[in-house]
Amino acid sequence: MTSVPAKGQVRVFADYDRDVDERCDVVVVGSGPGGSVVAKELAEAGRDVVLVEEGPPFTPQDFEWDGGRSMTRTMREAGLRTTRGHVMPTMQAICLGGGSLVNSAICVRSPERTLAGWCSDYDLEHGSRADLDPHYDAVASFLGIAPTPENVQGPRNLLFKRACDALGYSSEPIARNVRGCRGSGECFTGCRSRAKQSMDLAYVPAAIRAGARVLTSARVERIAMQGRRATAVSGRVVAPFRGTPSWRFRVEAKTVVLAAGCMATPVLLRRSGDLANASRQVGENLQFHPGTAAMGVFPEPTHPQFGATQGYQSLHFVGEGFKLETLWTPPALLAVRVPGYGLELKRHLAEIPYAAEWDAIVSTNRSLGRVVSRWRSLDPVLHWNFHPEDFRILARALFVLVEMFFAAGAKKVVHGVHGLPDEFHSIDEARTHERRELRPTDIVVAANHAFSSTRMHGNPRHGVVDELGRCHDTDNLYIADTGVLPRSPSVNPMFTAMAFAHRTARAIAAR
Amino acid sequence: MLVVPLLLAALAYALWRVLAGYPTPSERYGTLARHEVAFVLAAADALFPRGGPVPPSGADAGVPAYVDRYLAAVPPLLRFLMRCLFLLFEHATFFVAAPGSGGRRRFSSLSPEQRVAVLDRWRRSSSFAMRIVFTSLRAIFTMGYFADPAVLRALRLAPYAIETPIVEADLLYPPIGRSVDEIRFGPQDLGPPSDGRPLDLDGPLHPAYAEGGRS
Repeated sequence: MTSVPAKGQVRVFADYDRDVDERCDVVVVGSGPGGSVVAKELAEAGRDVVLVEEGPPFTPQDFEWDGGRSMTRTMREAGLRTTRGHVMPTMQAICLGGGSLVNSAICVRSPERTLAGWCSDYDLEHGSRADLDPHYDAVASFLGIAPTPENVQGPRNLLFKRACDALGYSSEPIARNVRGCRGSGECFTGCRSRAKQSMDLAYVPAAIRAGARVLTSARVERIAMQGRRATAVSGRVVAPFRGTPSWRFRVEAKTVVLAAGCMATPVLLRRSGDLANASRQVGENLQFHPGTAAMGVFPEPTHPQFGATQGYQSLHFVGEGFKLETLWTPPALLAVRVPGYGLELKRHLAEIPYAAEWDAIVSTNRSLGRVVSRWRSLDPVLHWNFHPEDFRILARALFVLVEMFFAAGAKKVVHGVHGLPDEFHSIDEARTHERRELRPTDIVVAANHAFSSTRMHGNPRHGVVDELGRCHDTDNLYIADTGVLPRSPSVNPMFTAMAFAHRTARAIAAR
Repeated sequence: MLVVPLLLAALAYALWRVLAGYPTPSERYGTLARHEVAFVLAAADALFPRGGPVPPSGADAGVPAYVDRYLAAVPPLLRFLMRCLFLLFEHATFFVAAPGSGGRRRFSSLSPEQRVAVLDRWRRSSSFAMRIVFTSLRAIFTMGYFADPAVLRALRLAPYAIETPIVEADLLYPPIGRSVDEIRFGPQDLGPPSDGRPLDLDGPLHPAYAEGGRS
């Protein structure tokens, strides 16, 4: 079903010519996987919804295939944000659809055991897998979430399966919010096939069809409160990419839903007078899935630019605290880990067409960080450090990847570990280094998936929101992003955050 | 009594070292200063010399122009930090000399072998901070090198041409910089969605990356 929106239903930067004053039932801040689900569900439930997004909408004409240029346009701080403490790159998208525009569309349900642990450790009465499955199902049905078909896996994904089979590890095609994938491997820079069902293509248009209004290039800077009730959000219209402020806007609403992402929502709460923070947990408990990758070089071409960006995974080691996946990044970013200089570097680069890259992400439930507001800025400062036990799991995961590459027939593996030979040429060579004591600074680590900075807890003294996403200290202020996850979901968090957002929307609609 | 003249002499040397004697670039750059262009060219060609399995050098691949555009695109604080990074690399040899004669010269004045030795020292440093600095520098240059279609074609990594279906979202959002009144699609333009047909590995390349094209 398609509809042309009524005049003014979607506003982009070029459309603003004066200050904006809107009134509605529900204002949703952030159009990523959490906010767009809430907007669509509430608009379809008959609520008058305004969805506010700081970034612009991207059309295929705006996509940049070049990885570096794409990051400067789609990511906050030009994609160069890092944590402090243990320094890791981490990213947050700034565009309509949020991270879903530039992620690899992985949708995995949290394991039953993980959710049961949340219930017992965080006093949650309705957080079991059985409780969440109807919400997972609703999102899956709307987005067409399905396992990646074999015909678009490509050799580098199928080699992963071969490795798992050879070693007796379980593996499976990754379920993704994609319809009609052609295997272009361009998930991170924008899907030119329009196959990925990113929020800007799926949930936001559905919300608009149901009557929601969308303000893009609108940066929320403050939430207004009267007693326990949130009454409005306000901020400035900002130019795409530069962030130069222009017109002011204010949206009055009966209900306010924050879905600005787990790195931005705590900053917004703090800047608005330290809202919803009687528990002192706003911005605390920040977690990531630190990840590392290795590259195997095979005797035969792998045609790595063909195939789903991330098509295969293994949950075999989730109980030990890590998950393994295939990976394809824009060549410029992949090449950063290739060792050497000059002609030697070029010889290594020439091996990329024979390579596959796989990664491991770790559930670091012992490694907690903080989101801190920066002076006169809405960008956060992120403090985070590795717990030694979590790092030990990461190091183990890296050697499992190395083992898998050789099991799949790789002739060498590039691992990027400081202090070890640049490449391993056999599993025996790798094993001679396996017991070596490594430090967190020896391994190239990226901070994937941020969450838990406004965590859910049944007890208002220990968490920011309740099971339905409502801030304990307020009557009508909700959070619907990954910040509400109590701790690591053991797998990629987007789908679980969307299931929670779906439940939050249903709860608001039922009020 | 000698302190003031010594300080003045040191200051004069520092200014000379940082600013003087750099050649005028053959191309115009909007963001990079003359001394930064010299460093970027030297580092780009140390990382990616001409020849080998991927023929273009860093300069051939337009790395300086890419870095120039990249600097312009990042937020001011990061731009400042990147400039500091270039300055640090260019002059670190004053404190820790490169191997061989004249090893205390600026990075851009070293021989190609000395430049590679300096880069290698940063990369293999026992200091995590030094390694991070090196990784940051190398990432920027590698992105620049890989932005060149000729490099991607040589590696058989250039993107394919893809037909982009018109979907409902194209009726809702204009390209960035345009108004919604300028949306040029209507319901009559909607086509079938992606059919899931795998890309043809022998198919045509993305027009900007095909022979003769340049993004």
